[in-house]
Amino acid sequence: MQIICISRSSYGYGKELAEKLAEKLGYRCLAREDLTDRATHAGIPVGKLETAVLKRQAVSESLALEMDRFKAFMTASLCEEARSGGLVYHGRTGHLVLPGLTHVLRVRAIADMEERIRMAMRRMNLSREKAKSYVEEVDEDRRRWTRFLYNVNWDDSSLYDITVNSAHLSVENSATAIMHMAALPEFQATPASRRVLENLLLSARCRLAIGKDERTRDIKVSISAQEGSVSVTYLPRDARKAEAIPHVLEGLEGIRSLVMTLATTSILYVQERFDPQAPSFGHLVEVAEKWNAAVEIVRLVDDPGAEASTSEPDYAALPISREGGDGGILDDTPALEDCEEKGCGVPETLSRLIEVGRAGAVRTVVGGAQELAASLSRTEQYSLVVVGDVFMSRGAAVRKRMKRDLVSLLMDGLRSPVIGTEDLKQQYLFGAKQWVSLGLFGLATALIYYAVFTFQEPLMNFLVAPGSTRFAATAFVCLFAPLAAYVIGGFAHNLLKLIKFE
Amino acid sequence: MITGQFIELTWSIAGQVALLGFIGGVLSGFIGSGGAFFMTPGMMNLGVLGPVAVASNITHKFGKALIGSKKHGELGNVDKKLSMFMLITAAVGIRLAVWVMKALTGSGDSHGGGGKSAGADLYISVVFVGILAVVSISMLKDILSSRKGGEGAGPSTRIVDFLGRLKMYPKIYFPVADVTVSLWVVLICGLATGYLAGTIGVGGFIGVPAMIYVFGVPAAVAAGSELYLAVFMGAFGALNYAWEGMVDIRLSLLLFAGSLIGVYVGAYGTKVVREVFIRMVTAVIILLCVVSRAIAIPVYLQKLGLIGMDPSWNPILNSASKGMLYVSGLSGGLLILYFVIKAWLARRRIQASLFAQVPENARKGLAQTSA
Repeated sequence: MQIICISRSSYGYGKELAEKLAEKLGYRCLAREDLTDRATHAGIPVGKLETAVLKRQAVSESLALEMDRFKAFMTASLCEEARSGGLVYHGRTGHLVLPGLTHVLRVRAIADMEERIRMAMRRMNLSREKAKSYVEEVDEDRRRWTRFLYNVNWDDSSLYDITVNSAHLSVENSATAIMHMAALPEFQATPASRRVLENLLLSARCRLAIGKDERTRDIKVSISAQEGSVSVTYLPRDARKAEAIPHVLEGLEGIRSLVMTLATTSILYVQERFDPQAPSFGHLVEVAEKWNAAVEIVRLVDDPGAEASTSEPDYAALPISREGGDGGILDDTPALEDCEEKGCGVPETLSRLIEVGRAGAVRTVVGGAQELAASLSRTEQYSLVVVGDVFMSRGAAVRKRMKRDLVSLLMDGLRSPVIGTEDLKQQYLFGAKQWVSLGLFGLATALIYYAVFTFQEPLMNFLVAPGSTRFAATAFVCLFAPLAAYVIGGFAHNLLKLIKFE
Repeated sequence: MITGQFIELTWSIAGQVALLGFIGGVLSGFIGSGGAFFMTPGMMNLGVLGPVAVASNITHKFGKALIGSKKHGELGNVDKKLSMFMLITAAVGIRLAVWVMKALTGSGDSHGGGGKSAGADLYISVVFVGILAVVSISMLKDILSSRKGGEGAGPSTRIVDFLGRLKMYPKIYFPVADVTVSLWVVLICGLATGYLAGTIGVGGFIGVPAMIYVFGVPAAVAAGSELYLAVFMGAFGALNYAWEGMVDIRLSLLLFAGSLIGVYVGAYGTKVVREVFIRMVTAVIILLCVVSRAIAIPVYLQKLGLIGMDPSWNPILNSASKGMLYVSGLSGGLLILYFVIKAWLARRRIQASLFAQVPENARKGLAQTSA
């Protein structure tokens, strides 16, 4: 069940390369157009989606839902195809359709610009200038499409395992090179990666089923699946409609359990070992309840090999570090076995979250900071990312440094605030510090109002006085306004925090 | 004794200004831009001179934008480059607006008595009605066409496409917004935004749609960038108006008292209602404000001696204008509060996760997990 995804440009040689590669490997070759035809046939308005994105129309909510369905359709289709054997897929975003799947070989096929222009001129009977403009516009459209769907840069080379250029390699030699690369252990399916594929397939099927049914098609949902346990998160406004979701998913194969969570947003909780009795977890639950957020659990299983491979490129070690590095769920590594025996606290933590109605998805990532960052969806908007105790097997100083690096990396990669569990209470809950802050801001606010309204007559006369005092009056207004906003805003913020209105 | 151009503040007026701030804050948090469209005429209806109302509001907005843009910046919604380019001409626009306002206030003096500042008030009201009528009607049209057109319909991209074809160089790429726009288009929009911000204190209602419809910027980035721009425009506006001695700092403070709480309430509302509803409420509220201001125009015309209306109509029209403004603001604000409270109660009610009984073994799985 090997999967090779080739991302191609217009008038590049991706199609020829994919077909040659499939022929050499004896795999099935699938084009994006095959899938979009099927999606259109299944009632997803692919044409409208493309028009909306490419013409830069603001996307309506219903169109965003269709976009979601389309992504799920692509994922489900590729997973189904991959289940039945080796697959070579070529399209613009093939490298992004199967997030977290480790054994996918992601190839970018590029061609010489001049050659592409010549091909466009020949095929479309265009002048050179028009053909050049056409090729550039199509590339721009693809960039926009990729950014819109997956919030990443299409040209970002870090998203690919290899780039092949027709200016330097023929189709035949490119296919041979990729074939050899595909034989490397990193790109072979493992039990762990098979499970990831099954999880992806199940969540995509659930999304499609919800999108297809009349009762639930208008609901905005976030779905994740882990070994048959499906987590569906939906917004409060859809609470009534969401009651039909269990019935919609009833006949779906592979579902062992279903947790539905009403949430307006989500919080990502990263930790190595979980303890539902820990005070920090209590703080997290309190924040989640205040914000009406679902808590997505990511268990980061430290893999010392990951750091070793970063500092010293030991390619022999890569199969191990990569195994679950991109979100793989390992059940056969010593670290995990040990953790399973001790429980790791995940079931208890999830159970507690279910009890309070804040349960989100659960995942395990093996590796270090890079592996975790790579496994996170860049399109997911978290209200908060909370990093607990991680890298527990390391020494205290190393652990602290690595956690700091992890927080910094996540801050750079995600458009969300990232915080350690130790700062959670201080930042988001009402403790002693907040009482002091409320008191000080309240006092300052009272002083400002008292001073201005008690001495309003001389103050207003000062503000309109002509002559040299005009400079002072102007400076006073320009400094006083932001200061007053800061003080009164601080008081209002703390006050609303106190009554849990955030 | 307070200087002539500022009003004597009674408890009742102070309370009403704070209430205006609260409703304006709720609307501002809910709509993502504006609030001044309610607060500026609201203060004028309380007897505050038009230029003083604009000046006090722009000073209030300066402080508020400073706090808000910092939060938007943390979420990556601020394209500083775009804001800076717009600021170049927005500053010129504000200065122009202040100059026009000062000139009109001076000419209003010449009429004496009731005619004082009527020229400026008339000018502000006409600009307000003209611009915001176009904005609100366009928004309603947009909503209706979205409904007719189904899922494919969105805001028109005709302007973006048209300007893209014109190839007016130099063109500048804005990385956060991910758009490339002609420098000239950016400068013209900046000028219009600044001029309107300086004239009626509602630059955001021009700046945000301009960024979305003319530049093709995503809505969240447009709101964040406009807020960042508003910091500088607000600072510049406050500076200019303060120099002219038009800022009533007491009114700015009272607006802060209401708006800084209201903005949280409004922002919460956006989480619990549909986008189309937000746009609909916004458009209707603006339209009602436009009607409110339009009702007051004959009063200013009469004061300037441009129409021969019986002066006894003035208090009636003023009351009607004030009533309409309060109807629009309060109905919009209450509607938003209704949804906020409803969602708040629903959140309390639905505390536990819903357990689904998908296949029979699902219940067992969950039961085990919960145990």
